[in-house]
Amino acid sequence: MDTPEKHCKIWAVGGGKGGTGKSFITSSTGTCLALKGSKTILLDADLGGANLHSFFGLNKPRYSLADFFEKKIPLQDIMVQSGVANLGLITGSIGSLDSESINFAQKQKLFRHIRALDADHILIDLGAGTHINTLDTFLLADRMIVVTVPEITALENMYQFIKSVYFRKMKFIFKTYDLNTTIQDTWKNRASHNIRSLKDLITHLRESSEYIRDIFDREISGFVVHIVLNQVRTTRDILVGENLKSACMNFLGLKVVYAGYCRQDEAVHENINNKEPFLIFNRISPVVKEIKTLTDNIITGTHLSVRKDLVNGSLSQIL
Amino acid sequence: MEAYLKYYDLFELPPEATIEEIYKVYAYLKALYTGDAMETTALNTDFSEDLLQDYLSRLDDAYEQLKLLLETKKPALTKKTDVMDEGLSDWIKSIACFSGSALKTVRERMGVDLNDIFAVSRIQPHYLEDIENEHFSSFRAEVFLRSYLIEYTRFLSLDSQKVLADYLPRYRKSQGQA
Repeated sequence: MDTPEKHCKIWAVGGGKGGTGKSFITSSTGTCLALKGSKTILLDADLGGANLHSFFGLNKPRYSLADFFEKKIPLQDIMVQSGVANLGLITGSIGSLDSESINFAQKQKLFRHIRALDADHILIDLGAGTHINTLDTFLLADRMIVVTVPEITALENMYQFIKSVYFRKMKFIFKTYDLNTTIQDTWKNRASHNIRSLKDLITHLRESSEYIRDIFDREISGFVVHIVLNQVRTTRDILVGENLKSACMNFLGLKVVYAGYCRQDEAVHENINNKEPFLIFNRISPVVKEIKTLTDNIITGTHLSVRKDLVNGSLSQIL
Repeated sequence: MEAYLKYYDLFELPPEATIEEIYKVYAYLKALYTGDAMETTALNTDFSEDLLQDYLSRLDDAYEQLKLLLETKKPALTKKTDVMDEGLSDWIKSIACFSGSALKTVRERMGVDLNDIFAVSRIQPHYLEDIENEHFSSFRAEVFLRSYLIEYTRFLSLDSQKVLADYLPRYRKSQGQA
């Protein structure tokens, strides 16, 4: 799976809205990878509200990313053991660092150091929102994961997040081809080109020249965001992921992969509040299997297929 | 056959799919995009009327084309699925007006019990019965009946917009007289 020049795979977990379970998904998929025997490191990049350590019953670690930036302490020394074999944890800083003050160069430096860590997988837990810093970190990852819940407000923020990420990616790619003015001018004069949405903009740019269409096909068409649906309560909720995939394709013109879902489970809630890593302490919750499925799907880039269940009517038996 | 692949793609179904399976996905997608589902509502302005009409016409076209293809290829469908018997989807399409009794007949022919619908939708079976018996006084406001009907039709993979359009006017009429 791993290419020789890239030592580890970096996963970024984001999503516009807070409270959707990004940290839960990061800690559980990380634990799942570690239990499979992969060397895994979790990195809490929610610089405003880092709390990944709580999922492992740890107190706030002594050193944090702030020490990496300010005192140049190596990442390896900031990392603490999570208590789960093969799983390390690097924490963000709680309140001490203004997350918006990190510039792009610092971010790139951080990524160079992250890639140099001795690990198979590094999972980055991002904060909520669509701040440029968050978007850039997200885009530097090898696997991009968005966590959302089946609620209209979360979906609105998720669409906004995916659109922002895509737009940022487009700008970034165009810049490497010295075309940054093209995208800006087109967007500025969008009224005259009859462009009302991101989809219109993509269509317009693709049709503007053979050269640009080539860039899209080569650089951007492989760009995929994985969607994880958390706190699913009904069978209908499971389909939300399937529907989002269809809606993103038809109305935003963007490809997303529905990687999987986790149901709402009181037992998991208790594990979290008791500061127990639930994948270790909880063997009976169906969420354990759901986490395994979605982790495997993200590794292989596979869609969770509910279309078949939809067709043969077996979907009603799932929940 | 090549040309038909794009139609199968639209439904995300393999070319082995039967017409019943295609119809289910067709009805599902149509209900998704014409109802007020949160997945589409959350798109806000990106859920534009132009794109919607374009998509729906591609969907209709794909279904019609595949129906023609499969009907000419095997005139008699022999494969039985556990939910829809052959001719049932054709018969459903021939229903001119979805009244309560028509809905009940559809449900019974599909072998679906009211408790099955309750299990998924959590709509009390007595309300479902009232829908089928057109016992309108059970529904204090149209909004309840409307959402129950959407759940009911979704369970049976019926075109909810068509059912609403057929059913609700009779309810409104009864409310007017009351």
